[in-house]
Amino acid sequence: MNLSHLTVSFGDKTVLQDFSLTLPDEGITALTGPSGCGKTTLLRAIAGLVPLNSGSITGISPLKTAMLFQENRLFPQRTVVQQITDVLPKARRGEAMSWLELAGLEGDAHAYPSALSGGMGRRLALVRTLALGGELYLLDEPFTGVDTPRIQALMSAIAALGRPVLLSSHQPEVLALAHRVVALDGPPLSVVRSGNMWE
Amino acid sequence: MRAEALLRRLLPPVLWLGVWQACAFGVDLWVSGRGNELLLPYPFTVACALAELALTPRFWETVLLSLCRVFAGAAAGGLAGVLLAWAAFCSPLLRDLFAPVIRIIRATPVASFILLLLLWTRRGFVPAIMAGLMVLPIVWENLSQGLRQADPQLLELARAYRFSTRQRLRLIYIPAAMPYFRSALLSGIGLGWKAGVAAEVLCLPRPGMGTEIYNSKLYLEIPDLFAWTVAVVALSLIMEWLLARLLGGKEGK
Repeated sequence: MNLSHLTVSFGDKTVLQDFSLTLPDEGITALTGPSGCGKTTLLRAIAGLVPLNSGSITGISPLKTAMLFQENRLFPQRTVVQQITDVLPKARRGEAMSWLELAGLEGDAHAYPSALSGGMGRRLALVRTLALGGELYLLDEPFTGVDTPRIQALMSAIAALGRPVLLSSHQPEVLALAHRVVALDGPPLSVVRSGNMWE
Repeated sequence: MRAEALLRRLLPPVLWLGVWQACAFGVDLWVSGRGNELLLPYPFTVACALAELALTPRFWETVLLSLCRVFAGAAAGGLAGVLLAWAAFCSPLLRDLFAPVIRIIRATPVASFILLLLLWTRRGFVPAIMAGLMVLPIVWENLSQGLRQADPQLLELARAYRFSTRQRLRLIYIPAAMPYFRSALLSGIGLGWKAGVAAEVLCLPRPGMGTEIYNSKLYLEIPDLFAWTVAVVALSLIMEWLLARLLGGKEGK
């Protein structure tokens, strides 16, 4: 996937200016950098939720991405299991419980989001995005409030899906498990360095 | 605690029945002759008149027909309100087109509407149309407001997750609009019922509770007039209670 010369502005503020990056077709790529540098805008631009002032994205269509937002965005009137079944086509609704098991939420299937802790809500939002499927997962701060053992289990499960993943995170344990880390700065967004965590 | 709760529930009706009783007693003292019979009967006299009416099949037939008229009109008005609110939400042009008409409907006096409708349509239809005209603007306005309250973050999620219109309605718009719709129906049905009965008083459809109220006044059967009025009020309260239970279902989790 190629991001070529992307420019995104909001009024006077330019978040992305002539930004270019090539991303691998597989594995987990983690974006890291200071808050407000433009990571979220980049993910949203790839998902087609932010209009580009200029530049192009090739190798992936926004229609084939699955985005996890920085906020959980759960439906307050739907139960935990319904959050999953609601995004699945009828033929795949039977999978819902296995996604909940992945998130460790099978015991809370019939609870409402207001009864979940921050970490539980985050895990639910994450597995909902994973259940949705797509050719590219865009995960914005997917493990906020999630404990380290669960992060490891979820990262392994995400890697096992065999789809390319682009995530943003500040958490060292997440960066350590990513196949590639891109350190960013901004705004406007720029690549500081790229490689794996230990390079 | 239970005794206190019971007292709080019983005190208002007992107090106001006492006030009614005292006023009727005052009329009995100061107006000689048929004061109670013609101006203000005692609550017990009204209760007896109501019981007497309730024992006749004609009373229930009249109540049922009035209810059916008003319900049919209110349901049609509510449905029209929902459809117009959705159309206006989808198209600003339609919103601009509907808004002045709805405002005019709201501002026009009920009596003017009743008399105009009496000229244009059969008298049996007027109460139903009036009930509908009372419910429509309230549903339209509340629902429009509710639809505008849909969470923009969930709407963006729906866009990112490529939800169908049906999914957007079911998961985002209907839950957002439901509290507004509920309160619109609760206030609309009360207004619709009052306007429907008022229309019956002026149009005299047979049978009809409003017609009976008019006849009671015409033949100076004041206890009957009070009894029919009590029946109208009681039915309004029962309808509101039923509707609140029916619509109170699945929100606020």
